[in-house]
Amino acid sequence: MGDEYPTLFRSETMSLVQLIVPREVAHDTIAELGELGDVQFKDLNPEVNPFQRSFVGEIGRIDEMARRVRYFTTQIEKERDHIPIRALYDSLPLVTVGPRAAQTLDELDTKLTDHESRLVRMNENYQVLSDRMKELVEARHVLRETAVFFDRAAGAEREIRTSFDDSSAPLLQHDDREAQYSGAVQFDLEFVAGTIDRARLPTFERVLWRVLRGNLYMNHTDIQEPFVDPATGAETRKNVFIIFAHGDTLLAKIQKVAESMGATVYPIDSNADKRADSLREVTARLEDLQVVLYNTGNTRRMELVTIGESLASWQDVVQKEKAIYETLNLLNYDVRRKTLIAEGWCPTRDIPNIQVALRHATEESGTNVPPILRELPTKKTPPTFHRTNKFTEGFQTIMDSYGIASYQEVNPGLFAVITFPFLFAVMFGDVGHGMILFLTALIMILRERQLGKADLGEIIGTFFYGRYIILLMGIFSVYTGLIYNDIFSKSLHLFSSGWDFPEPRGNETVSGVSNGGTYIFGLDPAWRVAENQIIFTNSYKMKMSIVLGVVHMTFALCLQVPNHIRFNRRSDIWTNFIPSMLFLQSIFGYLVVCILYKWTVNWETSSTAPPSLLNMLISMFLSPGAIDPDMQLYPGQGTVQMILLMIAMTCVPVLLIAKPYLQYQEMKKIQRQGYIGLDGEDSGGHPTDEQLEGEEEGNGRAVADSDEEHEHHDFGEVVIHQIIHTIEFCLGCISHTASYLRLWALSLAHAQLSEVLWDMTMAEVLGMSGIVGIIALVVVGAMWFTLTVFILCIMEGLSAFLHALRLHWVEANSKHYEAGGYQFSPLSFARLNEEGS
Amino acid sequence: MSSSLPTLLVLAVVLAAMFASWIFTPKGGNQTLIRTACMLTLSCCYLMWAVTYLAQVHPLESPRRAPVAE
Repeated sequence: MGDEYPTLFRSETMSLVQLIVPREVAHDTIAELGELGDVQFKDLNPEVNPFQRSFVGEIGRIDEMARRVRYFTTQIEKERDHIPIRALYDSLPLVTVGPRAAQTLDELDTKLTDHESRLVRMNENYQVLSDRMKELVEARHVLRETAVFFDRAAGAEREIRTSFDDSSAPLLQHDDREAQYSGAVQFDLEFVAGTIDRARLPTFERVLWRVLRGNLYMNHTDIQEPFVDPATGAETRKNVFIIFAHGDTLLAKIQKVAESMGATVYPIDSNADKRADSLREVTARLEDLQVVLYNTGNTRRMELVTIGESLASWQDVVQKEKAIYETLNLLNYDVRRKTLIAEGWCPTRDIPNIQVALRHATEESGTNVPPILRELPTKKTPPTFHRTNKFTEGFQTIMDSYGIASYQEVNPGLFAVITFPFLFAVMFGDVGHGMILFLTALIMILRERQLGKADLGEIIGTFFYGRYIILLMGIFSVYTGLIYNDIFSKSLHLFSSGWDFPEPRGNETVSGVSNGGTYIFGLDPAWRVAENQIIFTNSYKMKMSIVLGVVHMTFALCLQVPNHIRFNRRSDIWTNFIPSMLFLQSIFGYLVVCILYKWTVNWETSSTAPPSLLNMLISMFLSPGAIDPDMQLYPGQGTVQMILLMIAMTCVPVLLIAKPYLQYQEMKKIQRQGYIGLDGEDSGGHPTDEQLEGEEEGNGRAVADSDEEHEHHDFGEVVIHQIIHTIEFCLGCISHTASYLRLWALSLAHAQLSEVLWDMTMAEVLGMSGIVGIIALVVVGAMWFTLTVFILCIMEGLSAFLHALRLHWVEANSKHYEAGGYQFSPLSFARLNEEGS
Repeated sequence: MSSSLPTLLVLAVVLAAMFASWIFTPKGGNQTLIRTACMLTLSCCYLMWAVTYLAQVHPLESPRRAPVAE
């Protein structure tokens, strides 16, 4: 309100609005607001059980429709051949608002029910037919195999007949029995034939043998082809068996055992001709069945294809309707007056848009009773809303992951747009790797629209979501790569170097001689070939990390000030901000100044030796004021350090005591004035005017300030809070400053890894000549590039990302971020699609 | 002899650039964002360059090149 444009600096101003919606236009209004995505509805019936809410019937119906849509989706997925589902942006839209809405929804309901019943019936039929087919196939096998048995028996019979007339022949000879029972005259053969699982066969035999005491003859063969269950795809192998026995009791026993072991018995005729007839019949039925099965499968597939045409739009409609009715349930339904009352948060800036949407909804629905919108004054804390675009969204998300900013607090996401990629780049610094990151991000951005619609999967999707972050990370990495003078572990020699190397005499190491110039941009390339490179770069990078760290923390600390001003606690600037700043600067700001100063002194021409800064800092605390003149950085150092130490030491008690003391004074003042405070901080028992009004008018009128949150100025709490804050800040200063050394550590690791990779791959191969050299170069080059991308860019990139994020979350945010807010989550159909499927 | 003066000169240039970016950003929804981004970029890049430059103006040791083994 009053701002011309939205800024990311703090949350947008939000207002609590009340909508009075006539019943006829309620559904369409919510639909319109859902499309707009700008209102967060409050639950006005918090004590009501979900089953007692007004629209529970409609939700039940929608749930049934949703279940059917889910069923269709699973059926389509199960089909072996892919069935295309027409995408949402390609489908005909279903109009669910306006006077025809109810009709459309009813039609949809009946259509879904029809499809489902048809599909279920077809599935059942298919199942039955498959089972039938399986039986017929088994029967055919049985017929075939038993034919073989009988033929063999008929053949063997002639041989055996000759020796049969000996009556002393033993009764238990199998051949006899077989001959007896397969005589050409006697066709009353007693046998049982069927199929059984191959695994169960040995057990079956043994059981039969025991039960019948050996009075049986059993033969069996394998069925070559396995039976495949169409539903699950599992294979089972079966065998055909035929058991000859005499006597009805034995046969009955065989039947029972067969049944119990899960074998299937088939009626086989002993007559060869009749068997042939059965075989023909079975084959014919099998062919018919296959045709029927094929047709059923086809019809089912066609049905699914028809469903696939509209499935996406059905899913969309069902989702939206469910969201609409769930939102309607949150509203206060005054049945007598046929209106619903809604309360919600929305950005103040967007209220005109919402009013346009409401008018639009009224027109669509065909009635001319528009909903009424009014703003309610309230003391409750609104949700936090940062208006982001596709560029700032990623950065805001990573800062929101730490905590949502309190309403109207300074938003660290705004500054993270630059500081995060920059700190990443300090740890990543390499021109080549930076270019790889930059180009990858560029490709993702140029193909934003297609990639945005496709389903990328979780990992690639996450990278795509952060494409602008990666873009900036790449650009800054190129810059820091130029500063570190590191491109794929080699140096660029763009400007004139500051070092000259004299000619080496023999095998000795040669020291560079300064020629008075300084390499104007970045690290001198002479260091790349030096054996003491790391000693120099370590010192340089460590000091740079401290400098950058202290500057970052100072910046973060200063962000406290706008918060203190906005939340009307100006005294905090004097009791919190100033002491903290003085403490930080008098120790670590002083360190930074010393680092910079030491670099500006020409130690070759100075009278004292260059002192170690670390020792200087430590002795500043351990023996303040005592500076050895040989080890001094500048004259008067002892006094200056004493003064700074005094300042720091006094800041600690000020930080500890000042704020609680002021609170104490405030309390005393209020107590002296008596307990008369209308919007007082102590009196929670006096009802405000609005509350009384609300109670008079009865139901239907929203009570806006029913449960306020008062910050109870309990003195004890303030003291404890301040103690914790002081200790945290003072100790944190030291540990956080040291923590910034990770900027040095990771950039060192990255540079070393890059160098090792080059030395172990390309360096070996570049010297080779001839055709072998070319092939080796190509192969090793490809390997080098792959390892560069996967290890140095992706792995190191993720590592540097994490550490840069930690620096923001812990070191920077602890200096100013309160993060006590809650996210603005409006009813938005666009968001439903993102989270839903 | 190399001196640290260039850092101050460049600092003046950068401050001027920051001031220019403050006044010349067009009004609109993105004004805060562009201003913040420009000023932060300029200051971060300057800081890093200045530190690197200063570290090499009066170096405490010189690079030693080992003999190249053939």
